[in-house]
Amino acid sequence: MASRANRIAFRTTAAILVSLGALLYFFYLWPRPEGPEQPIPFSHHVHSGIKQIQCQYCHPYVADSNFPGMPPVEKCLHCHNYIIVNHPWIRKEHEYAQQGVSTPWVKVNVIAEHVFFNHQRHVNREVACEECHGEVKELQRLPQKLWRMGECITCHRNRNAQLDCWLSCHN
Amino acid sequence: MNRRRFLQLAGGGSVAFAAACSPESPKFLFSPPQATGDQVTGRATWYASTCRECPAGCGLIAKNREGRLIKLEGNPLHPLNRGRLCLRGQAALQALYHPDRLTTPLLKENGHWVPISRDRALSRIAARVQEAARRGEGRVRLLSEVVGESALALQRAVLGGWSSPGPTIFEPYAYETLRAANREVFGVDGLVSYRLDQADCLLGFGAEFLETWLSPVEYAWKFKTMHALRGEGKGRFVWVAPFQSLTGANADRWYGCRPGAESWVALGLLGRLLALGRGGHLPESLRRGIAQAAEAAPFPRVEQVSGIPVAHLEEIARALAAAERPLVLGAGMWQSDENGLRVNLAANLLQRVLDPGLLRIDAVNRHRVEIAAPRAEILSLLEDLAAGRVDVLFLNQVNPLFHLPPSAQAAEALSRPDTLVVALGGFLDETAAAADLVFPLAHALESWDDYNGWTPVPSCLQPAAGRFSTAPGAGEFWLAIAFPEGEKPAPDYRSFIARRLFERGLLKTASDWPRMLQQGGLFPPPGELTGAPPADPPDRLPELLRRPPPLPPEGILLAPVPSIRFFDGRGANRPWLCEIPDPLTRIAWQTPVCLHPETARAHGVETGDLLRLSGPGGGIEAPAYATETVVPGLLVHAVGQGHRAYGRYAEDRGANPLRLLSPRLEPFGGGQAGVLCRVEIHPAGGRILLARTDGSRIQHGRKLVRTVSPAELRRGLKPRKAGLTLNDFPLTLPLPEGYDPKRDFYPPHDHTEIRWGMVVDLDRCIGCAACVAACYAENNIAVVGETAVARGREMAWLEIVRYHDESRPERVYFLPMLCQHCDNAPCESVCPVYAPHHSAEGLNNQIYNRCIGTRFCSQNCPYKVRRFNWFDWSWPDPLPLQLNPDVTVRSKGVMEKCSFCIQRIKEARTKARNQKRPLREGEAIPACVQTCPTEALVFGNLMDPDSRVRRLCDDPRAYQVLGYLNTKPAVIYLKKVLEEA
Repeated sequence: MASRANRIAFRTTAAILVSLGALLYFFYLWPRPEGPEQPIPFSHHVHSGIKQIQCQYCHPYVADSNFPGMPPVEKCLHCHNYIIVNHPWIRKEHEYAQQGVSTPWVKVNVIAEHVFFNHQRHVNREVACEECHGEVKELQRLPQKLWRMGECITCHRNRNAQLDCWLSCHN
Repeated sequence: MNRRRFLQLAGGGSVAFAAACSPESPKFLFSPPQATGDQVTGRATWYASTCRECPAGCGLIAKNREGRLIKLEGNPLHPLNRGRLCLRGQAALQALYHPDRLTTPLLKENGHWVPISRDRALSRIAARVQEAARRGEGRVRLLSEVVGESALALQRAVLGGWSSPGPTIFEPYAYETLRAANREVFGVDGLVSYRLDQADCLLGFGAEFLETWLSPVEYAWKFKTMHALRGEGKGRFVWVAPFQSLTGANADRWYGCRPGAESWVALGLLGRLLALGRGGHLPESLRRGIAQAAEAAPFPRVEQVSGIPVAHLEEIARALAAAERPLVLGAGMWQSDENGLRVNLAANLLQRVLDPGLLRIDAVNRHRVEIAAPRAEILSLLEDLAAGRVDVLFLNQVNPLFHLPPSAQAAEALSRPDTLVVALGGFLDETAAAADLVFPLAHALESWDDYNGWTPVPSCLQPAAGRFSTAPGAGEFWLAIAFPEGEKPAPDYRSFIARRLFERGLLKTASDWPRMLQQGGLFPPPGELTGAPPADPPDRLPELLRRPPPLPPEGILLAPVPSIRFFDGRGANRPWLCEIPDPLTRIAWQTPVCLHPETARAHGVETGDLLRLSGPGGGIEAPAYATETVVPGLLVHAVGQGHRAYGRYAEDRGANPLRLLSPRLEPFGGGQAGVLCRVEIHPAGGRILLARTDGSRIQHGRKLVRTVSPAELRRGLKPRKAGLTLNDFPLTLPLPEGYDPKRDFYPPHDHTEIRWGMVVDLDRCIGCAACVAACYAENNIAVVGETAVARGREMAWLEIVRYHDESRPERVYFLPMLCQHCDNAPCESVCPVYAPHHSAEGLNNQIYNRCIGTRFCSQNCPYKVRRFNWFDWSWPDPLPLQLNPDVTVRSKGVMEKCSFCIQRIKEARTKARNQKRPLREGEAIPACVQTCPTEALVFGNLMDPDSRVRRLCDDPRAYQVLGYLNTKPAVIYLKKVLEEA
């Protein structure tokens, strides 16, 4: 009897442990998708990594505005009028241009709505894009990232940058 | 466990809860098909245009962010308003993004509105118009708002093509009496402008030049040029009228006169000044004429009629005679009756007596509203309509059904079944609702046009916003409807304007046109704007003055006056203008009828009681508001509310006093007669909870507003022995040197380079609330509505507090009150979560996402400038398009308050740092300071010993509100200078 009771207890414990393990595995170790699917599967790896196009070519306002800016479709076509013109995704790009419709890229770098990040001050203080955004040239599809204040504070503390609430981000 | 750790752990629970929910729906970044040449994401592009909220025509620059207009500011190059805008100008954006704005044409079928396509509407109108043109002459008519030269030329050409007379320009306040007086006395058939800035003594008989009259922003800065303290003296402004408007409240002396008796006073003064030996330069015939006319009004008789004692009349006469450069302004713009006409005639004659060369009258730079047709012409157009002599009537952005008394039968005239009435404009107001077809037009900020607020100074309008709809501008509409393809005078309206300007010789070379668009107009360089006095004033007395003035009407009289918020009623659907309280009554969303406390007592009513008023033309109901700024026996009710249509914010709100009038005409000028109408008052039973924003009418001895007399300033203010009370606490700047270990509990803040501060010159503030509107626009301040305001939940970060003097309640003071950004901020020390935070540059930051809504800070703030979000306030679509993307939209449960426009400071700072230089004086300017028409507000760095704010702190008039609490506020006030302080 006693051994049977032990078995039940053992099996229950094992089941709980296994399901907990599975839960932890799925929560932490299950490979996550790279990022949201975009209207056109643009690859940062190809453009920034292989072709070595500078970030500021496509995000031109990063040094004079709080926002880096998204390239207009016509800028994509500067090259893609000549390069792989008939690729189906490039055809879709052409369609956007011809129909005059804006391309709805899904936002991957998300900050809270009450936070105003200032790109130009960081870039002009020679903070490289990679320092915050990582090696995007290694990535095909960018993963979504929710930016947290802790990251800002850590870096600002390390570099002795200002820690004022309003003057930095909150207003 | 420290505080930060505790908060982290406490927050952890809610984060875990929130993280378990699904994330927000994805947000998008849109990349446009083509790059816009002049736009950078995240940076504003400014387009120069012209304000069309009233006929004044101030220049403006519109701030465009990613295609949407988020802010308007005055165009600094425009000579009229010099970079400033009034509150109505600021609120023009709310017409552009108004939730009730129409986008598709509507056709009335069996009393119901049916949306139709623009092409169908156009062809329908064109067919009817062609048919009408074939039937004979004058069968197509146009009732239009005041328009610029090009638009007027196009309208004339279009109507001429349909064998019809030119447009009838409808302006509810058409200045009939002022134009008649200018014609009779100055020999100028138009509306001259006044060089108020050059005067040293100003006498006003009701002309409300700081609110609505002719060109309020222009006259506000001119007024403060003459009236501000210069050295130890200042110009003098005397107001003779039965009530104080905002303008009257800014006078040094108000002589309350019986309503309708101003003409007696003016005539009496004329006679007295001649007797004092003035006017020797006048032609003999005129001088004799004046003397004879004035015989009817010797001072004792004037006292009898007007109620102003002879001694006071002598005072006024002496002040005028002693002045070197006096200027006399006539009646209020609503006074189109005989009294108003006589006042204007006499005022102009006074100017001729006092100012031999008429140097303070400018007959060249005249006001555009002079093209408005007198009321007589409007009524005769209505007669034509009623008699069936008109087949098609166009109404271009006018609302006569609101402005004309109901007995003018305008509604009946418009509703004839055989007349097609086409209402052009963006809103379904009373008149559009009575039309057969409503054709929406683009807003002025989306259209091409030109306008000339001063006749010889053209300024341009250009599309400054991404298009809200595809509706054409007025010019495009006329081009589309009147001319078949191939016969158009220009391919589009833009080229039509440019061509007209070339034809008129205003544009000379091809580069002039783009330069005009860039600068907003063709402005002469500063200092080179030439004007001239009237060239050939007639030398005889105006016929009318040969008869003695009529006695003022007896009984209780009502004055329907224009409103600084709603102008003539066109502003009543803008939520900001409803929410911003009237400067004198401090009541938002409602319009009370103002009466003297004595009159109120005599009728047994109190502030808030609902009154029923009945006049010759009809009756209205309005709440009473007792105030000493009105003489006994007079009721003053501002025009603007009481719309029966006009969208959600205006409809069925308040009453329209114009409904009391009967449509009689004043024969000489052709304006509405009987505007000062006799009414009967009956308590309607019941009270209204007034949406008052003043906690108290008086200061309870706390000396929040302080005054000083010029004599005291001359003597030099004696330095008092410093103490710790209200009366002797020293001015303590929020700087390290303001630290006193004996008084201060906390250590000083260490500001290294910058400590922001503001100086408010109470002597310059006129209480016009332009700053308040600018603040609403810049900082995404919520509009909470009538009920919430009545409960004290208004969200204004900056308000113009009004106090009546305790001993002389007719005297009114204005105090701009905003967060004082104290050095020793009481709010900071009581917050359990450290949400108010003292910044490195001295600003008192409110960190919204930290705030947990205990409201301790608001409780502890002695200035009561903190605002709590009791709800998530909403902006109905498409109003959110106006929201400033650089400022957080605050949500429920969060405290907020003035930030000194931190986003503007940051912008300037970023620019300076990018250029590796320190911030320059005047680069960072909050929205309120930017728009203040009288430069009453100065903003800058208190650490910089040469900055304007720092130097003004040494002014003997400088003081701090409630400074004795040792809050060390960064807003320094300068005492108001009063003759008899």
